[in-house]
Amino acid sequence: MITRRKFLMLAGSAALATFLPTQISALTQSSGSSSGDSKYRWAMVVDVSKCTECMEELIKKTGNPEVKPPCVLACDYENNVPEFEDKRVDPQWIRIVKMRLKKPSVNPKEFYMPILCNHCEHPPCVQVCLTFASFKRSDGIVMIDTHRCIGCRYCMIACPYGARSFNYEYPEHGLKKVNPEVPMRTKGVVEKCTFCAHRIDEAIIKGEEPVPACVEACKTLGKGALTFGNIKDPESEVSRLLRSNFAVQLRANLGTDPHVFYIHLGGE
Amino acid sequence: MNIEFRKVEGSSLAYISLVVILAIVTISGFYAYYLEFVHGGLSGLSNRVPWGIVNAGIPYFIGLSAGSLIVSALAGVFKIERYKVFSRMAAYLAAAWIIAAILSIALDIGKLYHFMNAVRYFNPTSIFSWNAFLYSSYFVICAIYLLVQFEEMERATRFMACLAVFWAVLVHSGTGAIYSFVYSKELYHSALTPPMFIVCAITSGLGLLLATLYFTFKYTKRELDPDLVRGLALIFAGLCMILGYMLAVEGLEKGYIPALHEAIQFIFLNPRDSIFWSFWLLVIFGIVIPVLIVLIPRTGRDIRLVSLAGILHAAMVFAERFYLIVPGQVYPEEYLAGYELESLHTLEGYIVSYTPTAIEWAQVIGLFAMVYLIYVIGVKLFALVPEKAVGEVKS
Repeated sequence: MITRRKFLMLAGSAALATFLPTQISALTQSSGSSSGDSKYRWAMVVDVSKCTECMEELIKKTGNPEVKPPCVLACDYENNVPEFEDKRVDPQWIRIVKMRLKKPSVNPKEFYMPILCNHCEHPPCVQVCLTFASFKRSDGIVMIDTHRCIGCRYCMIACPYGARSFNYEYPEHGLKKVNPEVPMRTKGVVEKCTFCAHRIDEAIIKGEEPVPACVEACKTLGKGALTFGNIKDPESEVSRLLRSNFAVQLRANLGTDPHVFYIHLGGE
Repeated sequence: MNIEFRKVEGSSLAYISLVVILAIVTISGFYAYYLEFVHGGLSGLSNRVPWGIVNAGIPYFIGLSAGSLIVSALAGVFKIERYKVFSRMAAYLAAAWIIAAILSIALDIGKLYHFMNAVRYFNPTSIFSWNAFLYSSYFVICAIYLLVQFEEMERATRFMACLAVFWAVLVHSGTGAIYSFVYSKELYHSALTPPMFIVCAITSGLGLLLATLYFTFKYTKRELDPDLVRGLALIFAGLCMILGYMLAVEGLEKGYIPALHEAIQFIFLNPRDSIFWSFWLLVIFGIVIPVLIVLIPRTGRDIRLVSLAGILHAAMVFAERFYLIVPGQVYPEEYLAGYELESLHTLEGYIVSYTPTAIEWAQVIGLFAMVYLIYVIGVKLFALVPEKAVGEVKS
């Protein structure tokens, strides 16, 4: 027979026991600040017409309408993004999409452009994250601390750009080669593009211009459709491109202020 | 107040077999989770539809809990003496449902080992974060409310009843807001969801309580006054109609937006997808038929049929949760207004259907069985059920 007192004691100790396995996470504690005090604000500019040109050539050459261009392959390799047969669960940090005007009789042409994490100024994923596992660095990069992530996937629901993937599998099961420069994620957490934060941090220390893997691959093997840089610096290439072009942000009406900008949408 | 609460003997073969069956179903649910945990890929989830029925279990169980608690506290808050007869069992069930809800979160998240991070870190802009606090405090309030009832502390019971109702409304509105404040999905975003959650909570909680009342009294051979059930059944039917009204307003408002015409057609008129069935089964078997059963005098006075109405409704409210959570994920969003999008390397831009697997169903049903296991054991251990529940009880 359980007395009331025993019942209370049992309930109390059960509650206490749940608090025991605590998580320690240096990553978020050191860089949780999202105040705009950094002299950097990283952004990307995508030239849609150059991207379309590159994709059209590549599809024609390979005959594969789903071919992965250099930028996507470079990202996959650089960031240990696994490759799984089943597209439903295959994570993809950067991917190419085909865009068509909803009035094909007016313009049947298909345009290609990459979609990736937009590193928003007001990121909905950070807004909804229970544990601050998703956070925005002072230089604007939105990151995930996988040691803190509980895998609730609220951020995936909240992200307006489908930028996030959940690891239904261990990523190493879908990798042929592992890049030791980038931390390996585990099963049961969410992952996404980091703008190659590890490259950025290293370049800043060395006093060099940071270049994410996709941008580098696009410059050397593609048509140079991607430009990356600091928009707080008026002399940077991204600032110059944004000044001289009609730039579009995806779903700008939501007020998230994405930092991936698209130019030359008409294919001029 | 002289209502006699008495423990259930619980030594019959029927009782023991019920406990065994419920325990087996519960264990199968946790075993299903274990299989999913070890092997992975056994659910119907994808990167396009990351929230499925195990996630739907969270608002569903919280709804049942909030509903049960609100009904339980009716007696205390509005001083309706005759409803005091089931205030204990309803409060006890409320506590059991919230355990199921919290376990639902535990089964749903990808990293169970990181679970306590949700309690340790508090992000004030995250509605889920607020709810982590609300759910745990809610359980404590349920437990204290139950204890003061056991101790027959009249004033404290009244105070706790008021607090419990307030907290239940807060908890369940918060749960609704988890989904409805998501502005990136137009099919999610709706200010109507939190109030609809409250209505739905009371209807499903009350519906299941009616059935639980009927079966408990029947199998313990205690006296249940049909008039008492009638009063509750009428509240149930009235709120079911309000739920139907709210669903209609929300659907029509979404359907009025040209940008959503295709999505709305897909949801309401495409019988090849389970979303269509979740909505229409809810409307027909969850609202129309239960309301008719209660309102038609001949069927409405038959306690057996009223409990059937309650069970039907409570089961279909799970379909409502499916209808709330799934369509917004299945139907693709437009990234650049006016342009159709097709991803070459993911399934963005495509309709990615979600069909829950047996592994997922086993988890939801297992948690459901767990609540009734807690209840069945509870009525044996604690004095939860009154000797008889008749209308003329005077204070």
